[in-house]
Amino acid sequence: MARETHAVPGAQFMDPAVLARIGNLELISRAVADGFINGLHKAPYFGASVDFAEHRGYVPGDDVRRMDWKLWARTDRYYIKEYEAETNMNFSVLLDASKSMDYGSRGITKFEYARILTACLTNLVHHQRDRVGFVAFDDEVVEYVPPSAKHMETVLHVLDRLKPGRPGNLKKPLHKLAEHFGRRGVVVVVSDFYDEPEAILDAVSPLRFRGQDIIAFHVLDPSELEFGFTDAQPFEDLESGEQMPVVPEAFREEYRSLVRAHIDALTRSFAGVRVDYTMLDTSKPLDFALYRYLGSRAKMMKVR
Amino acid sequence: MQFLAPLFFAALAGLTIPVLLHLTQREKKQIVRFPSLMFVRRIPYQSVRRRKIQNWLLLMVRMAALALIILAFARPLLDSGSVPTAGANAREVVILVDTSYSMGFGDRWARAQAAARDQIAKVAPSDRASVVLFGSGADIQLRSTAERSRLQATVDSATPSPSSTRFSPALKVAGSILADSTLPKREVVIISDFQRGGWRGEEGAKLPEGTTLTPVAVQDAADKPNLTVTGVTFARSSFSDQQRLVVTAGITNRTEQPVKGSSITLEVGGLTVGTKPVAVEGGSSTTVVFDAFTVSGRNMRASVKLAPDALAADNTFNFVVSPIEPVHITVIDRGNAASALYLTRVLSIGNTPKFEAVVRQGDAISDEDLRKSAVVVLNDVEVDTPLARRLARYVEQGGGMFVAAGPRARWPQEVDALPGTIGQPIDRTRGDAARVGALEYGHPVFEPFRAPRSGDFSAIPVYGYRNLTAAQGAQVLARFDAGTPAVLERVVGRGRVMLWGSTLDVSWSDLPTKPVFLPFIHQAVRHLAGYTEPEPWLTVGQVLNASAVTARGPAAQRVVLTPSGRRLPLDDEGTDVLELTEQGFYEIRGDANQADAIVAANVDPAESDLTPMDPREITAAAVGGGDGSGGAPAGVPLTPEAKEKNQRLWWYLLVAGILLLGADTLLSNRLAKA
Repeated sequence: MARETHAVPGAQFMDPAVLARIGNLELISRAVADGFINGLHKAPYFGASVDFAEHRGYVPGDDVRRMDWKLWARTDRYYIKEYEAETNMNFSVLLDASKSMDYGSRGITKFEYARILTACLTNLVHHQRDRVGFVAFDDEVVEYVPPSAKHMETVLHVLDRLKPGRPGNLKKPLHKLAEHFGRRGVVVVVSDFYDEPEAILDAVSPLRFRGQDIIAFHVLDPSELEFGFTDAQPFEDLESGEQMPVVPEAFREEYRSLVRAHIDALTRSFAGVRVDYTMLDTSKPLDFALYRYLGSRAKMMKVR
Repeated sequence: MQFLAPLFFAALAGLTIPVLLHLTQREKKQIVRFPSLMFVRRIPYQSVRRRKIQNWLLLMVRMAALALIILAFARPLLDSGSVPTAGANAREVVILVDTSYSMGFGDRWARAQAAARDQIAKVAPSDRASVVLFGSGADIQLRSTAERSRLQATVDSATPSPSSTRFSPALKVAGSILADSTLPKREVVIISDFQRGGWRGEEGAKLPEGTTLTPVAVQDAADKPNLTVTGVTFARSSFSDQQRLVVTAGITNRTEQPVKGSSITLEVGGLTVGTKPVAVEGGSSTTVVFDAFTVSGRNMRASVKLAPDALAADNTFNFVVSPIEPVHITVIDRGNAASALYLTRVLSIGNTPKFEAVVRQGDAISDEDLRKSAVVVLNDVEVDTPLARRLARYVEQGGGMFVAAGPRARWPQEVDALPGTIGQPIDRTRGDAARVGALEYGHPVFEPFRAPRSGDFSAIPVYGYRNLTAAQGAQVLARFDAGTPAVLERVVGRGRVMLWGSTLDVSWSDLPTKPVFLPFIHQAVRHLAGYTEPEPWLTVGQVLNASAVTARGPAAQRVVLTPSGRRLPLDDEGTDVLELTEQGFYEIRGDANQADAIVAANVDPAESDLTPMDPREITAAAVGGGDGSGGAPAGVPLTPEAKEKNQRLWWYLLVAGILLLGADTLLSNRLAKA
């Protein structure tokens, strides 16, 4: 993708074609029923709002201003009026910025793809008046933008200058973040998930345990899926630097089956803990992937 | 097709090298950076055998190049008669020209050159000729060439050398040239004066089968007078502290013609000292005694020169004279004149070398005494530690020490210089006296007593001796009858120490009164002092050992200046020896470009005996058949080696192989770029 200079940093991620496809879709959180846009969704919390929810009996200490005097007049009992809280959702993208993401065989690296994905989602969510946050991690938290309705541009700016560099590890940063995210919301994890499925599950479990709605995007390059190399060459691990001689023709079938098994294992594991998992192939258009994902999210909501 | 070296085909196994290279090289070309080898690591490693060959053309080029090179090394030859072979009458001629100094007699050399030129003129374009100059050795000047001009020039530029005649090395060199030749006819021509002295007949010089040996004798009737100085002898004397030398020259007339009215001159240091008339009958010898002259300095060049005659080289005899340096000896004694009496008396006898002994008491030894002394004799004295240390240091720096261990001898244990420890005295005054035996006759000290009736040590009664125990590295030169060492020797640093287990006076043994005492002490002192008699001259052909004549260790920058003025460096890497090839004086110069030593070189006087021999004797011995007129019959089939040499197929194969390797380089470069 051609990099152009825009007034807003990171604005080159706003591919109009991508946004045109996903702009008319709703991103609906599954566990948190709070509305994205004020008044549109209901929240599980009662608070200051115009929408009346219910009455409850007065207990000493309640604000007398919230007492329903008309009901007192009718029933001679003190009731407090409770209203639906009009909340805005916290939406955070956790982007894997490890060295292994810096790989691409078709002109776009996984990291660039993930960056566009993050920008699109952020943009979309921002337009729904939700608070957007952003975290980049490798084996530590590299960048942290706390969720805020005003942080859209900050997120895009951070995304713009972010560069993958170090070996990655899901567990340590995600566990740390789980303690940090007090308020429930939607957490999107974008990574290539090069780890054992059990370890990945272990990494996201604390987030899930604290009530975060997790969406996992598994970004893979077509070469990683197909292993289309022809020459016998030494392969070097981007993260560890380890080298080993590889004869792709002899390795290919086994490799593919191992990758398929990995994806299947991740699908099963994530489904087990109610994490939405989507594998994204960087050769496929991003809008198509987003559309498919959001479509499936909407369907699931309707089912519920 | 045949192959001369088919074993090289074993190298065909090397053809697997390009295959392996081919399979392994591409792998190393590029490294693929991959996000994670997590899955790859789980797949069992596949060996290179399953890899595919990527570029058959490159592989075939490499294998073909190697195969061609191997084929070239196997030295192929074709059997077909179509390949041109050497002409049936082509000759390999070796012309042996005698350059010994006897060829300088009369006009022999001019006639020898003319004879060589005649032989060269007969060399046809298909022939090959070699020129070998020989004296006591043989030197191939020009090998197997058809260029007559070069052959001529070689003969024209040759001159007689100061060496003597030896036919055998020349014939061996000729044999080796002919053995390498592929031409059907082989000839050897010897141009010489055929002196009897040059052929002993036992050398076993054999020429290859079918060789024709043609002797060309340039000898003439030795009717011209020829005198030879065969050698000189010296008589030394001292006159008012100056050494004087009387030179006696031996002169031989090798011809039958009597010589009268000739003269002989003695030159010393370039100045004529004396001239004497010479008259010698035919076939006889005489001596001429010159007047005495003073030997004023070291390394004086001297020559006796006869008046010119038909053979000039043997008229001059060179030698080097130096005053004989006395060997200084310090005898450490306990101050009793009687104890050193026999020793000092014995040392005062003799002229070659002269011994100069001074007697000192142990506490009166000065450093100057030690510096001047070549040998220190400890005559049954007690040595304290400081003196022992000084003596040990003196020996390590190259001095000699003789220790007589009588009843008083003591040497401190802590100073390790003696060849043995001096133990308790053994008294043999009762019963049979001890005897000295088991002499090491191979040692220079006892070597003069080796022959029967040349001194009997076992007849000397020894009534008392010290119980010696040999130290490590010491050599036992003699033992007492009880088996105890009697004489021990040890090398300490650059010097030597000798230990005698008894006294040098008559208190413990009768040795000083016996005839062997003088030669024993003289030999021991000479040996400990490292004394060698300087050789006044050497003969051309002998080897000069530079480090021996200069009596110094090998210096870093030494050169030998030859009589003709050439400078030959004697470096540490090269050997320290030099073959004398010229007549005259060789100078060995050290660091300061000063002459360390001068060596006189003379021609071998035996060469001046011009008595001829029958050349057929040599012919018969060398070619094995009567007249030596044998030869390979015309049209003899060529040996496979000769065919191969003529065809030179290997050359074309090698070039083709190298060209293919070049093509391989280009091809692989292009493929790499692609």
